Parts: sequence; C-alpha cells; structure tokens
Amino acid sequence: MSEIIRMVEIMKKYNTYAEEITVLDSLNLAIKEGEFVALMGPSGSGKTTILNLLAGIDNTTSGSIFVGSDEISAMSDGQLAKWRSQHIGFIFQLYNLIPALTAFENVELPLLLTPLNRSERKEHVGTALDIVGLKDRMSYYPRQLSGGQEQRAGIARAIVTDPTILLADEPTGNLDGKSAEEVLLLLEDLNSIFKKTIVMVTHDPNAASRASRVTHLEKGILKEDMTKEDIIMNKNRVIGN
Amino acid sequence: MMKYLPFILKNVFRKKTRSILTISSIILPLILICYLGTFLNLLEQPNAGESRGAYRLVTRHKVGLTNPIPSNYADKVSRLDGVLAVTKFAWFGGIYIDDSARNFFPRISVEPETFLKVFDDASLSKGSVDDWINDPSGCIVGEEIFKKYGWKIGDHIVLKGTIYPVTLQLTIRGVFGVQGGRSDTLFFNRKYLEESLPSFRGKIGTVWTRARDSDAATRLPTQIDELFENSSYPTKTETEKAFQMGFISMLGNVKLLIASMAVIIVSVIVLIASNTIAISARERIREIAVLRTLGFSRLMILSFIVGESLVMSIIGGLLGILVFLMTFKPLKALLAKTPVGGLSFSFTIFPETILLGIIVSTVVGLVSGIFPAIGASRRSIREGLRYIG
Repeated sequence: MSEIIRMVEIMKKYNTYAEEITVLDSLNLAIKEGEFVALMGPSGSGKTTILNLLAGIDNTTSGSIFVGSDEISAMSDGQLAKWRSQHIGFIFQLYNLIPALTAFENVELPLLLTPLNRSERKEHVGTALDIVGLKDRMSYYPRQLSGGQEQRAGIARAIVTDPTILLADEPTGNLDGKSAEEVLLLLEDLNSIFKKTIVMVTHDPNAASRASRVTHLEKGILKEDMTKEDIIMNKNRVIGN
Repeated sequence: MMKYLPFILKNVFRKKTRSILTISSIILPLILICYLGTFLNLLEQPNAGESRGAYRLVTRHKVGLTNPIPSNYADKVSRLDGVLAVTKFAWFGGIYIDDSARNFFPRISVEPETFLKVFDDASLSKGSVDDWINDPSGCIVGEEIFKKYGWKIGDHIVLKGTIYPVTLQLTIRGVFGVQGGRSDTLFFNRKYLEESLPSFRGKIGTVWTRARDSDAATRLPTQIDELFENSSYPTKTETEKAFQMGFISMLGNVKLLIASMAVIIVSVIVLIASNTIAISARERIREIAVLRTLGFSRLMILSFIVGESLVMSIIGGLLGILVFLMTFKPLKALLAKTPVGGLSFSFTIFPETILLGIIVSTVVGLVSGIFPAIGASRRSIREGLRYIG
C-alpha cells in the first residue's frame, strides 16, 4: 500500500504569555492508505496536535505535511478549507452536532459545500445514516438522541462526503462501554469494508487495539510504533500506559 | 447561496424569545423611521403652488391656526398690488357616517365665488360652479371620495360638527379634480355655516391669495403681515407649502432635526441588533469551529452571521413597514381632528418612505452583523474547538 500521509520533521511550538512550549519536536510519521492508526500517549503529548495538523486546522512551526500529492502545510487558509471539505472527515469526542439541526441536517452540512442538488444530497445523507444505523432517527434533534447515537450521527457527517481520511479525536471518550463498542465496530467496518484510512487519537487501550497500528507519543516525540500483532502481543503493556 | 437559507433561518430562530425581542426592537424604531421619512418627504416635495403654475399664499393668525382672523382681511388683501384672487377658508372637520378613520376626509368651508379663482389648477368634472354658488347648502367633492362613496350629483351629505356645534345637510353640486394633486376633500359654502351658526359669522381660519407672479409671491407675505401688524389679529403669511409644513417649520431646522433623530434611532437599532448577533456568535464559538473543520471557509462563516443579522433585520423592517402602513390612515385621521388638522392634507404614503424603511433595515442588518461576523470568522479553529461556553 502506498503512503497517503507523510509528516516530515514536524516542529510545533505554542507561545503562551509566559513561555514557548514545544509540542511536537522533529516528528516524522508516515501512514499508508487504508491503515487504521491509533495515536496514544499521555495528555499533552501532542496527539490532538497531530490530528489538527493532519486536518489542516492548525499550522506547523516548521516541517512539511503531505496528504496524497498535496502539501497541506503550504496551503492557505482558504485552500485548506476547500481541501478539508473534499478529503477529511472529522469525528469529535463531544460529537459536536449542531443542536438546532436534525440528524439529517447535521449530516447534510458538509454536502452543502458540494455541487450536489437537494435530491442527491438527500440520497447521500440517507446512505450515510444507513451505514451508521440511524436512518430511522434522521428527523431527531441531537437532544433527542443518546450519546452513542449522537456519535454515530457525527460519524455519518464525517463519511457523507466519502472523504479519503477519517480523523477521530477520542471518539469513544464520552461514551459508555456499549456505545463505545458500537462506535469502534463502526470504525472497524469503515476501515475494512469501505477502505477508509483512519487516524484515531485515544487514551483507551481497548479502542487502540482495534487499530491496525498504534503510535505512541511522549512529549511530542514518537516513541513506539506497533502493528496489530504487536498490540495483541503486548496488550498488557499498552494497557499499562 | 439559497441552499444555506434554511440553515441561516434555523440559527435566527434557535432562541425564539431573543429573536422575537430583537425583531421587535427593530419594528418599533422602523415605524418611527417611516414617519420621520414621511415628514422629510413632505418637506422635500416641490411647492404645490409653483409646480402647478400658481403662486398661492396663505394668511393665518400669527399665534396659530386655532385663532381665527376677521373675514374682512380677505377684502383688504385683495386690494394689494400683485394679488389676482383671494378666497376664505375655515376648517370644519366634523363627522361623516362615523368617527372611524375609514370615513375621514377633510371638510372645509370656503367662498364658492372666489374658490376656483385661487385654486385655478382645480376644475369641475361633474356639476357646475353656478349650481354650487346658487345653492347655499351646496358643496363640491373631490373625485377620489366621490368615487369611494359612490355618490351622485344631488346626493345629500350630513356632517355632524365636532369643533362647531352644528349639523350640516349638504347637497353635492359638483365634483372636482386637481391636476397633479389630490382630490379627497369636501368644500362647502361658508355662508351656510354662518347662517347655521351665527357666532361663526365674520370669522375665518385662513385667507388664500393667488399672486400674479413670483415677484408678487415673494413681496406679498411681508406686505400682508405689515398690513395687520398693529391690529388685534396680527397675521403670518407664507407660501402654500410653507403653510402645510408650518407646524413643523416652527421647530426650526426641521430637516436637520428629523435627520438627526433618524440617525440616532438607526444607531440604537444597530447597537441592539449588533449586541444580539455578538451574543449569538459568542454562544456558538465551538459550532463555528466545527463548521470550519467541516470545510466552511472564513468568508462563508462571515456570510452566515451577516446573513442571520440581515434576515432578522429585514423581517423586523418589513413588519415595521407593515405596521406603519396599517397605522398611517388612523394617525392621519387623528391628526385631522387636532388643531393642526390642515397638516393632514399633505400627509401621504410616499414610495420613497417604504424604500427608506427597506434600506434602513438592510443597512442595520449589514452593519450590526459585520463586526461580530468578522470576530467569529477570525477565531482559530483550534481555539474554537477547545472553547467551553
């Protein structure tokens, strides 16, 4: 499989009032097309920063990020917005559905950026909601859905444009065990059946064990990179972190 | 852009109470703006007399219209050089059918013999001047009200006095139209009023003078007022337009005053609407960050927020204009019953006023939305996603 994501010598610093904080230090990371990668590490290790950089919602201090043939680290804000709408599906820990919109309207949002007409959009939204098992809840508002259903609606919103890459930031972090399991199964299906490349930030070793590869970060430096086999073999060690 | 409209509307009405209150805060000042615009338009109207080729002057009591002047003033004015014709007016008012705004139209006692000499731009389309002159209880009515009430020549009209304690029974002897002017007034012979109400005898409200040319029209007001300066009834003479606007003109620089009031009102609406939009945008920092994560550009976020502001403002504006239109006639009728009832003659709905209302509400929407929109669209996505409201 070819590389779809390549992060080269990534440096990311944040300036606070008091000091300059280095979050990522000369980070190199390559992800192959169709991989399901879990990013693990303690709080402040830079996991979410990597996700934000990959989504083009944050800028590197130095280094380059390539997604497919696009160097997103060289793109302008406007170019990034357009690129995101075409290539990235983002799944949030807190679901982040718009409360004033129904599940259908929430999932339809990214399609408003496409040239699809109303009936085509309706068809796409129906398909996405069907995949996540929420077709019968399309007229429900977020407040009328359970946490697990909200997250599934969030996933439907992320996949409705058929993006190349899915980025998930602690997708099960706010869910009970049963709902988390449903979401993880869904992500597995999206990876195995729909061949989506998934990068997931998680603290949960159980969630990480569903990934084909786990990358461990510590203070902005890539420490370990394990395959699924490694994870299973070293499950206790992973859980220990 | 239309595909985003449902999304914008949902955001506008997501907090219904706040939206309704904000829209209401736009409706009320908009009504006021429309009325101010009407007054400004009245002031901007060309001099009715000049535009119709006649130079008409109005002489009234110096203190105000509620103070009558002697009817013989008309004879004295008529002897001045440059005067072509003079006629006498007295506002009657009264009630026709009932007191409702629907049945309101100006009713004025005049001198039939001289009336059409001064108002040479008016002409009878039905009936004759002689019939009117020969019938003490005769009257002429404007084409507009003639048509509205389905009257016929010879029909009787009963007017119940309000200012004057008398009921008049009038007979329609003619129908008049005014070229380029309005014809919703009833004029009847003042002698009939004098006979019905002896205490009214010898008193008039105004003297209307038709000047020979512009030189005479310029010179005569001073000359007329000097003529009665030391009498018990000093006068104020002005052009027809100035007279119609006289009550407002007394306030001084009316245009500046009205314009200043309008600017203050618009500024207040902008601040109120801007505050609402700013609060709404601040409450949705995380949502806006989510939208940008989904691929909505800064410009689109800016457009959404300005769009919300515009929608709210235009709804408020249109409702304001609607209320203005609905209240206009009753207010006009109310005005006509006051001592400044003469002003209601020129009080009309100008298309420019409606346009002004639409422009003001659009500008309010744009200006009040733009600053919160810029702030919301410039916030970084990372900060927005971390925001806990």
